[in-house]
Amino acid sequence: MILEVQAKIPPSKHRYAEIIHRLEAGGSMLPDSPENLMQIIGIYKAYAVPMDFYWRDLLYIAEREFLNPLPFFKYFLPQEYLDLPNHYAGETADLRIWRGGATAHPELLEFMAKGETGKLPRILHHLWHDRINMEFAEACMRAMLWHRHMCAPFNKFDAYLDTPEYRSNCDRAIRAYFAKNPLMMGLYRAFPEMFMEQCRQASYYSNLGLFWEVMAPVFFEMSDIYDEGGFNGVPDAMNFLVNGIFAVAGRPIYHHVYIDGQCMEIIPKSKGFTWLYEAALPYVEAVFYRTAPFRGTKSYNAQAKQVPEHQADFHFGILYADVFPVGSAGIPPTLLMQDMLHFLPPYLEEFYQQRCRGEEDKLIQLGITFQRSMYNVTSAVIQALRAALFYPLDDPNPHHLQANRRFFETQMDRFLRPEARLMDIQTPEYR
Amino acid sequence: MADILTLAQGAGCFATLLTAVEVAGLTGALASPGPFTVFAPQDSAFAKLPPGTITTLVQNPPQLGRILTYHVVAGRWSQADLKAVPYVESLEGSRIWIDGSHGFEVNNATVVAADIEADNGIVHILDTVMLMGR
Amino acid sequence: MLSVLIVLPLIAALCVAYLPERWSRPVALAALGLVSLWTVVLLVYFDPAQTGMQFAESYPWIPQIGLDYRLGVDGISLPLVALSSLLTAIAIFSTDYNGERPRLYYSLLLLINAGLAGGFLAQNLLLFFFFYEVQLIPFYLLIAIWGGTDGRAYAAMKFLLFTAISGFLVLGAFLGIAISSATLSFNYDPSVTQGLPLNTQIVLISLLLAGFAIKIPLVPLHTWLPDAYVEASPPVAMLLGGVMAKLGAYGLLRFALGLFPEAWSVVAPGLAWLGAITAVYGALIALAQRDIKRMVAYSSIGHMGYLLLGMAAATQISLLGVVLQMVSHGLILALLFHIIGVIETKVGTRDLDLLNGLMNPVRGLPLMSGLLVLGGMASAGIPGMVGFISEYLILQGSYSQFPVPTLLCIVCSGLTAVYFVVLLNQTCFGRLSQQAYYPKVQNAERAPALILLGLVLVLGIQPHWLTYWTEPTTTALTATPWAKSALSLK
Repeated sequence: MILEVQAKIPPSKHRYAEIIHRLEAGGSMLPDSPENLMQIIGIYKAYAVPMDFYWRDLLYIAEREFLNPLPFFKYFLPQEYLDLPNHYAGETADLRIWRGGATAHPELLEFMAKGETGKLPRILHHLWHDRINMEFAEACMRAMLWHRHMCAPFNKFDAYLDTPEYRSNCDRAIRAYFAKNPLMMGLYRAFPEMFMEQCRQASYYSNLGLFWEVMAPVFFEMSDIYDEGGFNGVPDAMNFLVNGIFAVAGRPIYHHVYIDGQCMEIIPKSKGFTWLYEAALPYVEAVFYRTAPFRGTKSYNAQAKQVPEHQADFHFGILYADVFPVGSAGIPPTLLMQDMLHFLPPYLEEFYQQRCRGEEDKLIQLGITFQRSMYNVTSAVIQALRAALFYPLDDPNPHHLQANRRFFETQMDRFLRPEARLMDIQTPEYR
Repeated sequence: MADILTLAQGAGCFATLLTAVEVAGLTGALASPGPFTVFAPQDSAFAKLPPGTITTLVQNPPQLGRILTYHVVAGRWSQADLKAVPYVESLEGSRIWIDGSHGFEVNNATVVAADIEADNGIVHILDTVMLMGR
Repeated sequence: MLSVLIVLPLIAALCVAYLPERWSRPVALAALGLVSLWTVVLLVYFDPAQTGMQFAESYPWIPQIGLDYRLGVDGISLPLVALSSLLTAIAIFSTDYNGERPRLYYSLLLLINAGLAGGFLAQNLLLFFFFYEVQLIPFYLLIAIWGGTDGRAYAAMKFLLFTAISGFLVLGAFLGIAISSATLSFNYDPSVTQGLPLNTQIVLISLLLAGFAIKIPLVPLHTWLPDAYVEASPPVAMLLGGVMAKLGAYGLLRFALGLFPEAWSVVAPGLAWLGAITAVYGALIALAQRDIKRMVAYSSIGHMGYLLLGMAAATQISLLGVVLQMVSHGLILALLFHIIGVIETKVGTRDLDLLNGLMNPVRGLPLMSGLLVLGGMASAGIPGMVGFISEYLILQGSYSQFPVPTLLCIVCSGLTAVYFVVLLNQTCFGRLSQQAYYPKVQNAERAPALILLGLVLVLGIQPHWLTYWTEPTTTALTATPWAKSALSLK
């Protein structure tokens, strides 16, 4: 295919021309090798299990905790939400992506019961951090909230949060939620904007929860297909993701709140917000590319312009992250690595044992695998966007191929900054 | 002359589109006086979408409606009118980019048949379903 | 009783030489275990209040040339004997298990241990010279065979030439003593030498100074040191810098200051300045190094400058400081060389420009980096560590005699902190290289550093445990009638 495209248009002169030609041939930014495939699928599986908790708890917080001023128990997921059927797995699915069950994953339930420390009261597991670290999921949610407006004008969900309609919906919900709490009602009268912002945050909880509800079964299914020998290479895995993105692109994104058993629609499904435009693309932009510098890993001097002036210049996401400091407490990526550590498939476990320092630096090793896997997910997003907005890779029209080329080059421009790990993941030595 | 809906029903290559319009509850709108300019993807355009895409959309009429209204522009825009502007604004709210330099293209779709006149508007037939976002 | 310290390693060396290779390491370790144990016994039975030689042994050996086998230990030599036993034990322990030619290697180490102990214990000038020289060939072989890859032969040869000349100068001085005192006895006896004419004393002391200045070493006779320290493997460098160089300083204290206090007071101002110059030179050159081992080697030269200053001042406090400085410098240098050795094995380089981010908690060498930081602090004389105690005593004791050289040395103490901050900042902090896949540090590699650092800290917080052995002796050294009169000359 490379030859086909190159026969029609001259080769790219971009610094990452090799990678661009690979994308034009239907490949991924991650080189195609059995080791890479094994690593990324293994880590997708390890990621999917905690993600199964994340999306349930995110929805629980958005729908039930809502504006609870003292949310001490927001990570204590009630059975109802553990049993919540995933819309993309199980018998009852709208579209069955994963052939497994719709309720919480068995490995997740097993871990929640015992953790690393054994059978203890839930509160002790919580305090000892021997649990799923929801703090990571919240950090992602906050990144999306903080980088609002980044996908305007296509992200209509975000624009909606500033409309009078949204405000009146929130107003109704707040009044109902604090009906029996005069103190909070008084505060609401005094500081309505603060409550509005809290509602927006709750809406982003819901947004991210609905996004991950899709990704968990996608990753589970990929793991199952790999175990059955169904993937021939990294591009296969990427194409599965591309198809997944299209399949659920029209999935509604909404925010419902349940107050006294009654459902209040803060963002109704009828607004027509979709998974692809209002959740997936903002998520990729906010979490993969931008986020914010993590406290505790490095000191930044804002006066020396080490922190960018414009939010659009933020590049601290997983595609740029320095995984080596992983292991320090409280850093969101470390929390995720810690969560994934519990669910590594045996082949990946063995792989890490044999490399670097084995058991000791497993967190870093899996962090770097995660980075590889997210380059693959980003490749899938880039290919999906190319398919949605541009032209097929085998388009006979050279003008169309040139447009595809320009699109790929613009995407690769984002990895020209020195901290991008694109070149690192090209070699197996980066681990 | 017939209205856009009748025209499409008669053409025979818009089965998917008509089903979609019906599911999204936009049948009445297409029959209304308008006038509209409709970029109508033919059946083969829908067939190019990956599996599952249509299923999910059909399950969620508001989301389907949003995709469909992206293919409709208020007013009666002929090919010549369109080629004179860089973009038009769809009923969905996002822009549709017009490229007349190599044939007649809108976004990443090619117009296979242009300027089909109807009572309440004008129809251009597309080979690809347009997704907003460029 | 003292002979055990010499005989035991010699017997062990013979055993190692004849037993199969797999026995080499256990036998050597066992021997040094026993030697250390014996050292502890000596420490227990030693009476610090008594300032003369204790546990003395005396047998005629070759009376025709005045060589008697006379041993004794006092408050100055005892801590150094203990240091020698400890560092040799650590050097043997920290040697690579799979080294080449273990029989020769361990025999040589044991031979060196016997030589060092003998040197510190000898009470006969010829006997001292014998032990002083007996280590040269073993050290030469250890550097030449087990040293670094390039330049080890050159470094070993340079070391051999310099120290051999040092030996001849010392021997010349000893012969001069025997001839001019007309006794033909080489036994250590200050009452004889102090009766010599001052001019003779000054000639003899100059010979001794030149000889020991090479061994310590002092600027400008130091050029063998950086090469030898850098090329030697870490255990050997530990012994070279930690103990062997101390034999030079000990010689100066025992034979130059001890035998010729009057002449000493004449040359003292020059020595104080030489000490200050050595300190400044060592610090400035260390600052310019890009190889961390070389940097530590030059820092070691600088620290020798303090020793000389303290000896030149020869006050009660400064002499106590000198003995403490010998011990503390031995401990700290051994600690630093050990850590640098571990870093070199794991990272594969000692280049300051390539090392980075070793403090990284997961992929770096966090414990070793932490210990390196503490070692650097100890070397820079941060309070709470033994380096502070000894440097403080020297500087405090010397100021009244030689204010300007003392102030220069204080500035150098600050410079030590500067180059260690450069070293630590480059090595331990910053971002770990993307391709950093260093092997794990084993507990066996951590143990020597932890033991040494433990001593550095404990003796820094509780220096009394060190001064306890030495103080009466150094006080007595400054209180002899000759010394008193000599010191009052200034």
